[in-house]
Amino acid sequence: MTISEEILMAYADGELDAATRASVEAAMQEDPEIRKRVAGHRALRETMRGAFSAVLDEPVPDRLIEAARGQTAAPRSVVADLSAAKDAAQRRKSAAARRWQPAAMAASLLLGLGLGFLAWHGPGGASIQPGAGGGLVAGAALAKALSNQLSDDRSQLKVAVAGLSFRDKSGDYCRTFSLTGSDPSLGLACREGADWRIKALAQAPHAAANSGDFRTAGSEDSPAIRAAVEGAIDGEPLDHAGEIAARAAGWAGASKR
Amino acid sequence: MSTNDSVENIQEQIVALLPRLRRFARNLVRNPHDADDVVQIAVERALLRLDQWRSDARLDSWLFKILRNAWIDEVRARARRAKILLPEEAGEQIGEATMEREIERWSAEAALTRLPEDQRLAVSLVLVEGLSYKDAAEVLEVPVGTLTSRLARGREALQAMLRLPEGDLS
Repeated sequence: MTISEEILMAYADGELDAATRASVEAAMQEDPEIRKRVAGHRALRETMRGAFSAVLDEPVPDRLIEAARGQTAAPRSVVADLSAAKDAAQRRKSAAARRWQPAAMAASLLLGLGLGFLAWHGPGGASIQPGAGGGLVAGAALAKALSNQLSDDRSQLKVAVAGLSFRDKSGDYCRTFSLTGSDPSLGLACREGADWRIKALAQAPHAAANSGDFRTAGSEDSPAIRAAVEGAIDGEPLDHAGEIAARAAGWAGASKR
Repeated sequence: MSTNDSVENIQEQIVALLPRLRRFARNLVRNPHDADDVVQIAVERALLRLDQWRSDARLDSWLFKILRNAWIDEVRARARRAKILLPEEAGEQIGEATMEREIERWSAEAALTRLPEDQRLAVSLVLVEGLSYKDAAEVLEVPVGTLTSRLARGREALQAMLRLPEGDLS
């Protein structure tokens, strides 16, 4: 009799009903080739059972245990809201090619967080400050970093590290940044005139804040910032040469205000 | 009060499942840190949807399904994500196929990593995580027949890559 490979596989996996199992076993009695194929399936099952099992012995990061116990820090729920905002914004994108729609939504959602950010960092924090005409702009220290640092500059002890640079859909330059310190944050800023206007801001994930490792904090990712970038970016990010050229031009975008 | 207790009880069950959730996530996302991010997103989503969990269903299957969906949501952004804030961390990944070809015997993990996604997930859920065909099909939201054909193709590819000795037990 002919028995399909899927049946033999299901036999090895213990997935067959009694009648089919009996017919497979009868066939195995008669045909050494079938015995061999079943043995192959069983051997593979054994081999794969141990795959990736090393992770089972690793200590589980605290942030995951806290998440499972519902103790996650509040800013992550803001992040979740941002993802939803981004989805909603993308659905409308084809209808209205309004510039900065996703990021504008992000910025409005983040305004509360941004003000909270000011509270964390206090009046001495020169990173983020209220801008003329509302919203937030980069303070002196952050603006200096955004204007001068290249993305592949990963040297230690920077107030801010620029991550990715790109042009938005109206031709202005935008850059992601990481802020270190007691409340590590990630953000997206775009050049508007002489200012770097904060388009999105998120607290860096909890684990990064605890690690004390600058590079971890600096390279940490954030769904909120990613969403803001994806909503804004036009084409591909700038490469190293592109950044140097943009920096040389003072990050002056296509649209002048 | 009793509701509260049972929520806490489920939370502790989820804590106990975290190692397996992390393992499954590593099958989806190579970078361990990114894999843990997906676990965290999934766990947070699960807690928000505890009312949707039927207590007669397996908690692990339910969580695997949420985890997979959380991962799918992340996938579209993944290519760009590498460029945004993780510019230098791509080094740990499996090498080029041309280099790999020289290695005669693949580890189970490397072989699994090479499988197409559909097959990898089927193999991971059934052979690594030990789910039944029915539960695995439910996690992947496909009919059992689809699951078994993906599993069969995945196994065939793994057999070829691993060159398992055949007939040892015959």
